[in-house]
Amino acid sequence: MSTLTADPPTTSHAAIPPAAAQVQPTFAGVVRGEWIKLLSLRSTWWTLAATVAVITLVALAAAASLNAMADDPALAPGIEQMHGAEVISSGFHFGMLTIAVLGALLITGEYATGSIRSTFAAVPTRIPVLAAKALTLVVLTAAVTLVSVTLSYFLTMPQLSQYDLVPALDDPGTWRVFGGTLYSLMAAALFSLGIGTLLRSTAASLTAALTVLLLLPGILSFIRLDWVETIVSYLPLPASSALLTTGAVETQGAYLSTQASLIVMAAYAVVPLAAAAVTLHRRDA
Amino acid sequence: MIEAHELTKRYGDTTAVHSLSFTIAPGTVTGFLGPNGAGKSTTMRMIMGLDRPTSGTVTVNGKPYRQHRAPLREVGALLEASAVHPGRSARSHLRTMAATHNIKASRVSEVIEMTGLARVATKRVGGFSLGMRQRLGIAAALLGDPRTLILDEPVNGLDPEGVQWVRQLVRALAAEGRTVFLSSHLMSEMSQTADQLLVIGRGRIIAAGPVQQVIDSVASDGVRVRSPHAGELATALTADGATVTSPEAGTLEISGTTAEHVGEVAFNSGLLLHELSPRRASLEEAYMRLTQDAVEYRAHTTPTTSRTAKAENQ
Repeated sequence: MSTLTADPPTTSHAAIPPAAAQVQPTFAGVVRGEWIKLLSLRSTWWTLAATVAVITLVALAAAASLNAMADDPALAPGIEQMHGAEVISSGFHFGMLTIAVLGALLITGEYATGSIRSTFAAVPTRIPVLAAKALTLVVLTAAVTLVSVTLSYFLTMPQLSQYDLVPALDDPGTWRVFGGTLYSLMAAALFSLGIGTLLRSTAASLTAALTVLLLLPGILSFIRLDWVETIVSYLPLPASSALLTTGAVETQGAYLSTQASLIVMAAYAVVPLAAAAVTLHRRDA
Repeated sequence: MIEAHELTKRYGDTTAVHSLSFTIAPGTVTGFLGPNGAGKSTTMRMIMGLDRPTSGTVTVNGKPYRQHRAPLREVGALLEASAVHPGRSARSHLRTMAATHNIKASRVSEVIEMTGLARVATKRVGGFSLGMRQRLGIAAALLGDPRTLILDEPVNGLDPEGVQWVRQLVRALAAEGRTVFLSSHLMSEMSQTADQLLVIGRGRIIAAGPVQQVIDSVASDGVRVRSPHAGELATALTADGATVTSPEAGTLEISGTTAEHVGEVAFNSGLLLHELSPRRASLEEAYMRLTQDAVEYRAHTTPTTSRTAKAENQ
């Protein structure tokens, strides 16, 4: 520190060339800033590692449980109707949990630490920040889903091959399940980011996001009222379930059609984000 | 250049900032003073476009902050030392800000060097002392080589060398023609650093102008005397119309007269003096008197009158 005062700031500052004319914010710059932000935190890496680990471990467990199914005469015929891709994607719920945490922390972490003020001082129009966060989050979710599914695919292969369930890569059903997993996880991540931006508090956002994403269907399943069941079918988990099957077997009537599922999941991603964008502009940081 | 026009911020029933109008000129260091809760930070946040004014306007270099194309080149701000994620390194924090404006990595290294953070730049900010966080905040403020600097208590937590460094830095920045607006609770430091003062209390302007003018407006210069005949001298001076207090036995603080006159009175009365020294009023005394008035005003306000005042406001 003493070298600092030995070096008079007058000269060191005068030595700085005047800021170049090209120094001004661009959306690409804001995205790069968000990217550095995300990757420079250990919590991001922990969350990503946890996502890969849980998705892969659940897939392995699901594959291992085929042995038990095969031993049980009542369940054994069911194996033939299963699709290997569904086994590989069965860790999807847990992935949703960690991805949702990542999405919410992306913004609530900034409010909790006060770094949001540095962020908005640099980009006072604010909306580009939210857009850049959404973009980096989607890219990161895609990457981590890809890694998880690929890893699960290879690790479950020895077990699945015993039952002739290794999903064929030229089977559209396989890609439908993997695509549905990716799409639903991206929607969950964006939903969580939107909720986090609206609520700002980490605890409140995680509670709200995880309740809607994961807990409500289970809680409400005990209520046997038609209108409640209708509502439940529009919750993210049931709504995404149509996207996580090969579509070969007709699922029960309570579930939405593929098209409806795609739209409902997109609405979960977009509506909170749009609401957040409107309020973000107005509220004090 | 910072220009505020009837800037007001209300939070529910509380008015944090009440119709402030001021101009902070380029090429000067302007000190922003006021007790805790006076509205300094709120005012600075409104200048930075972080908080929205309830009414009134504030512009920086001619435009509201949000409308500048390259905000970091216009204004560099240290609003609070904690505006950094503790899990990130100092360099990463600066890189995230630099990236938004396409500021080169070499500039990040420059401000790290300038603020003396080179040795700890890759360490996580969570482990930083308050002084190191302040340096990081100043580095962030300098990043865009801005024309205007807004520094909220920049010397808070700095060691004496750091305090001196900030003083030299802001003087140099003002000498280059930049606008420097800084708050501090350290009055002696402020009187050495600032050219101009803006003093607020309870969200209103109490005093504004050149430092010496603000001091002279409330605190008069005095004379300090030590004498074995302090009691007799005090009587003689009081009879002569001066105000005399005695901080300790054998010592007098005299105001309302000059050192020459005190010497004359002592000589004419045949009283021995051990010390006779003129004292200039300090900024601290002036500040205390200025803000004490604000406190007194508040203390004398009964609930009835405050309700009347509120009704008048509406």
